[in-house]
Amino acid sequence: MVKKKVPDWLNSSLWSTTPSASSSSSSTTTTTTDTNTFDHHSPTTASPPIESPIDPPLPPAAIRDKQQQQPPRHHHNHNHPQKPEVKDKLSKSSIVDDDDNNNIIINNNYSNDNIINNKIIITNDIRNVDVNESSAEDISKQALLLTELSKKVINMGELRRIASQGIPDGAGIRSTVWKLLLGYLAPDRSLWSSELAKKRSQYKHFKEELLMNPSEIARRLEKTTVLNNDNGKSESRCVLSRSEITHDEHPLSLGKSSVWNQFFQDSEIIEQIDRDVKRTHPDLHFFSGDSSLAKSNQEALRNILTVFAKLNPGIRYVQGMNEILAPLFYIFKNDPDEEMAACAEADTFFCFVELLSGFRDHFCQQLDNSVVGIRSTITRLSQLLKEHDEELWRHLEITTTVNPQFYAFRWITLLLTQEFNFADSLHIWDTLLSDPEGPQETLLRVCCAMLILIRRRLLAGDFTSILKLLQNYPPTNISHLLYVANKLRGQPSR
Amino acid sequence: MVLVLALGDLHIPHRAPDLPAKFKSMLVPGKIQHVICTGNLSIKEVHDYLKTLCPDLHITRGEYDEDTRYPETKTLTIGQFKLGLCHGHQVVPWGDLDSLAMLQRQLDVDILVTGHTHQFTAYKHEGGVVINPGSATGAFSNITYDANPSFVLMDIDGLRVVVYVYELIDGEVKVDKIDFKKTTATTHSAH
Repeated sequence: MVKKKVPDWLNSSLWSTTPSASSSSSSTTTTTTDTNTFDHHSPTTASPPIESPIDPPLPPAAIRDKQQQQPPRHHHNHNHPQKPEVKDKLSKSSIVDDDDNNNIIINNNYSNDNIINNKIIITNDIRNVDVNESSAEDISKQALLLTELSKKVINMGELRRIASQGIPDGAGIRSTVWKLLLGYLAPDRSLWSSELAKKRSQYKHFKEELLMNPSEIARRLEKTTVLNNDNGKSESRCVLSRSEITHDEHPLSLGKSSVWNQFFQDSEIIEQIDRDVKRTHPDLHFFSGDSSLAKSNQEALRNILTVFAKLNPGIRYVQGMNEILAPLFYIFKNDPDEEMAACAEADTFFCFVELLSGFRDHFCQQLDNSVVGIRSTITRLSQLLKEHDEELWRHLEITTTVNPQFYAFRWITLLLTQEFNFADSLHIWDTLLSDPEGPQETLLRVCCAMLILIRRRLLAGDFTSILKLLQNYPPTNISHLLYVANKLRGQPSR
Repeated sequence: MVLVLALGDLHIPHRAPDLPAKFKSMLVPGKIQHVICTGNLSIKEVHDYLKTLCPDLHITRGEYDEDTRYPETKTLTIGQFKLGLCHGHQVVPWGDLDSLAMLQRQLDVDILVTGHTHQFTAYKHEGGVVINPGSATGAFSNITYDANPSFVLMDIDGLRVVVYVYELIDGEVKVDKIDFKKTTATTHSAH
């Protein structure tokens, strides 16, 4: 029985991250996108620990680049020898990679952008070249996306392809693309305004219905005239008249149908939601702090989660849903289009429902052990790892007995929002949402890639160190991670 | 939407052993924000029980209370309403509206809650309301015969208060409600 080997290209030190980050000479941070977008975004991605290998044979292109690696990132436009190629290829067809040293074959499936991206990734200094940040790539992608979005009927396949490379941060593109990917906006532009109006009024209706407190409900229901005290001097003294109560509608009612009783039963959930909302992303000014902006954003999150909990009595609210909600709301609220930003709450609600629909079963405790539950998904991840990297799988499962539940649970249920910083998780979500295979499958591939990328350290570690590593996943180049995840598609490589 | 429980004259243990079971089953912690008690509990155990319903408890002294430290009268502000509390045995004639109105003007409150008569009443006069929640245990009283156990729950919502009256008649809990709206808002309440 042939033991499935990890393919060479995967095993190359190019792809693995190592603990020592200090070896880099002019390394700069790569994975953070526009830091000015996030106020107090902590620069946790300082020099991802991808060391530049000196030993392995370098492809000629790479060597060329390494010599020019010295200048920091923003100069690479000038020094990068491949830049002229980039401009040419913008309009051209497929390219085949010429260096085989590391067995990196460019897939013909990819669009031009991707090929260009990959060419640049090939260099040793991955950390120096953040594809999503380099202006040329950004502009080209932005242009492509904008042209696609401005069409009357958007080609979803094309959009998905472009979006899976990562969506640039500017011009509110991400907001619109996500809405399209989640099916909130139809591909046909002409339907947008009517659909949006319908959905938004529906949400408003939900809010009015579900977020009222019982006093208000009682007030609305009562038809008997209220004894009013308009002029204080009139009828100076009288016995106040009593009126009958219908249907047990008093605050201490224990009846199942009583509005009051339901209110008190829901108050537990509302408290839980409140607590979680206050704890969402404490490092982002958008969500936390004393500013009125943060308070109103928290209020919106609260409303969305409460309406969701009330509309879905089967699943209610589970801790963690706030984390899935946060990026959606952030993106939609920061849409430069004012009209869109004003209705961000309603839009987010529906997109949240859509996004969660694929993952609902992970949140239901009763389904934990079933075929659709979280345990089964984790098992699938484990299988995936076994197919692609048996050595690592064996080391984790059998040698060190690290139960994948210890780390993968959070990865999967929270869609990786907690493993990376906010900007990176947005980028990962671009891929998750745009992949035609669907977010569930893509998520598993990304998780598998996360494991494979740090395989050196995992293989060298014992139970404690592995768990520490996986529960605090080291910062890494996201595009690189997504590239690896993509390569895991389909058949396991030999 | 603030829920305020008003009750009193339980006379436990002298005249009654405990609250009626049906009342007790309804009074669960977590729903009520304030409890005001007219007095005559009479012992500390009742005080502790009321404290479990809600930490914000206000009591005035009735003539049979064993704890002598309760005040004779108390005022508090909840939302837009000023509430006054007094047992009522100090106001003579007992249960007389005119005298109670005098007390209300003295305390300068919108809603005056008193007890002692063991009889539920709710009067309105000159922009104020006087409420007597009756006796929560239906204890013996030399003024009222055959008193039914009763208490009052007020739902204060802005300028409007809905008074829910809970009475135990023939073993069944009967709930009525009374609406009352205030004309002008109180100038800032610091409660």
